[in-house]
Amino acid sequence: MNLIRVAALAQKEWREILRDRLFFALSFIVPALLMLLFGYGLSLDVENIPFAIQDLDRTPQSRDYAYRFIHSRYFRFQGYVTDESQAGELLSQGRARAVIVIGQGFGRELAANRPAHVQTLLDGTFPYRTQVTKGYITAINTALTRELLAAYMVREKGLSPARAQDAVDPVRLEVRYLYNQGLKSSWGVASKLIMALLLMCPPFLTALGVVREKESGAIYNIYASNATRAEFLIGKLNPYFCIAFINALVLWAMACFLFGAPFKGSATAFLFATVLYVLCSTGIGLLISVLVKSQIAAMIVTAVVTAMPSMLYSGLLTPVSSMNWTARGVAAVFPAMYYGRIIEFCFLKGLGWAYVWGDMLILAGYGAALFAVGYSMFHKRVAA
Amino acid sequence: MNKVLRRRARLWLRRAWALTVKEYIQLFRDTILVVFIAYAFTLDVYVAGVGVNWQLNNAELGVHDADKSTASREVAGRFRAPFFKNLGSVDAPETGIRLLDEGRLMVVLDFPPDFGADVLRGRQTSVQMQVDTANSAIGSLATSYAEQIVGRYGLERALGVQELDVDKIHGVPFLIDETRAWYNQNQEDSWFMALAELISNMTLLAILLPAAALAREKERGTVEQLMVSPLSPVQILAPKILAMGSVILAGLAAGVLGVVVGLFHVPVRGSLLLFFGVSALYIMFTAGIGLLIATIARNLAQVGMLTVLVFAPMIFLSGAWTPPEAMPSWMRFIMGCLPMHYMLDAAFGILLKGLGPAGLWRELLGIVGLGAPILGLSLWRFSRQFK
Repeated sequence: MNLIRVAALAQKEWREILRDRLFFALSFIVPALLMLLFGYGLSLDVENIPFAIQDLDRTPQSRDYAYRFIHSRYFRFQGYVTDESQAGELLSQGRARAVIVIGQGFGRELAANRPAHVQTLLDGTFPYRTQVTKGYITAINTALTRELLAAYMVREKGLSPARAQDAVDPVRLEVRYLYNQGLKSSWGVASKLIMALLLMCPPFLTALGVVREKESGAIYNIYASNATRAEFLIGKLNPYFCIAFINALVLWAMACFLFGAPFKGSATAFLFATVLYVLCSTGIGLLISVLVKSQIAAMIVTAVVTAMPSMLYSGLLTPVSSMNWTARGVAAVFPAMYYGRIIEFCFLKGLGWAYVWGDMLILAGYGAALFAVGYSMFHKRVAA
Repeated sequence: MNKVLRRRARLWLRRAWALTVKEYIQLFRDTILVVFIAYAFTLDVYVAGVGVNWQLNNAELGVHDADKSTASREVAGRFRAPFFKNLGSVDAPETGIRLLDEGRLMVVLDFPPDFGADVLRGRQTSVQMQVDTANSAIGSLATSYAEQIVGRYGLERALGVQELDVDKIHGVPFLIDETRAWYNQNQEDSWFMALAELISNMTLLAILLPAAALAREKERGTVEQLMVSPLSPVQILAPKILAMGSVILAGLAAGVLGVVVGLFHVPVRGSLLLFFGVSALYIMFTAGIGLLIATIARNLAQVGMLTVLVFAPMIFLSGAWTPPEAMPSWMRFIMGCLPMHYMLDAAFGILLKGLGPAGLWRELLGIVGLGAPILGLSLWRFSRQFK
């Protein structure tokens, strides 16, 4: 390996990038802008659920029940509906995600110490949202049932209010949220976004690197030169790696200072892992570039291979551990999962080298494998 | 007069058709490209549908039971499949924290020493739950289910029954809630995931394919050839949309019929014809975004970066993956400007909710109202660039 030749190739690549000012600007603007958008926008919190109430009872008790939902911060009241077809229309058009139907005789039954019925119709198109909504509704219903039962025990059984309270709520669940005390999805999302965006953007930088020269014919200069394959690939990768690494630092700073994600772990471990990860993600683009024949194919393959998986299979939205084996297999193929674990250790859990070295080893192996495949697939001799 | 017009129209169409055929040939000669388009519409959708899960699924649970009474075992025993997977007891709270740190447990329950005695005596007691909320979605689901489990146990104790059977409750005021999830009764994640993934991939290709096809002509200089040929800008751009759009539509059909309906058994409650009609409209206008990118970019590398800038927010902020209601108002405004937001609503509306054209006016208005100006703008820019 001749470092002077590598430097020359890298310099040529740098000059090409710097002369394409729009591309150069975009390579920094795009990740930062996406971080800004996703950091604020990609929230899984389920709040302000639009809902409607169908009150068939119209008693003070039913109104009181309705107000528990109307005043909840998780729900946004869209008004009363009078019949089921109206409820169906609201649900089908997405203007309400839940409709609560208070049955006839709600107030009378409760006053007579009998069970009363309510029905909840939920928009089930997005199961996660439906489950969370259902959880909120169950919580409100359980709270009301407890109050009713406590009042009943005081009234009918002569228990003291405190005893009745204990009796209806014998076991309390004290929840401690670890690593993300406020249960703020922006913390978790912002730190994980570093991983997703570094898999989404850098491959696009490098994807055209080699295939562009193939399509324009400039590659023949390389074929004819005395630069070796390895020198060529390393020289190619150099500027893109630098750009992507600067992006990584910018994204890290945004996650910490803009979104307030706590960075409690080892900075050196994180830095080292980031270098490996950026090598992997730019390497994916370069490998695609070596494998395909046209720039269009390079772009489509990069988009399909990195853009969707970077969000879906990286553990950003749903943890890898709850996927089934096929999706876990897909997740294991991408470097994002390993880096995601490192981010989790370094950011939210505040742990260091002892926990991350295994994943780091995998990333290093991954990068080496990418380079080995790219090296063996790139030929200076034109196929006959 | 009429004859002349008709001859001209025929000539116009023949020229446009010739260019369309050229696009098809160019596309299908690129084997890797075709393979990946096919992959994006079939296998990729299948894996997303079958594999990605939004439910709390076998969350690893450890129990630190300092009490070892019937009551504590009873409560811990209720944390079971499919939501939780009890991996056994943890000997000390510190061990629990360590296992949580290492990511080997997601939830640790901690029962205090006199838990059982308190429950028997009717005194309020508590159980501590430590939950890993590094992923807030799954963390909040775990909390929600745990609260439901403990709440139910509490009510059963209060009523003095073994199991809360709503038909057997008499003589006490009690709220019986019956929940029904419409449109997806069994809460199959695969229905949602497969459709969302399919529409995301459709959007991705509808932007990228025409953008790349036009930018390539610009980069190679073949667009100059087209400009000196007797073709109008519309005749140059329309074949690109037609060729790429029809390939995408064919892929979509394969994905919907083969994977979404064929493998995941999503019920088609509305009209498939309407679905494909709306999709065709959407693809056409989304292709306009791609063409606009191509008129701005000078080479394919710029197209690549610009496409990421456009499609990433388009796909991930359109409300497919994140509930729109929880977003800040400015974000919802952005969402309202994304054509994919309307396409998603239309797709779920037609396939799952059975909406007809009358119920889709908002979606259609969004797709056409946002798409037409963009398509017009790209046409205008293109014709101006090559005068």
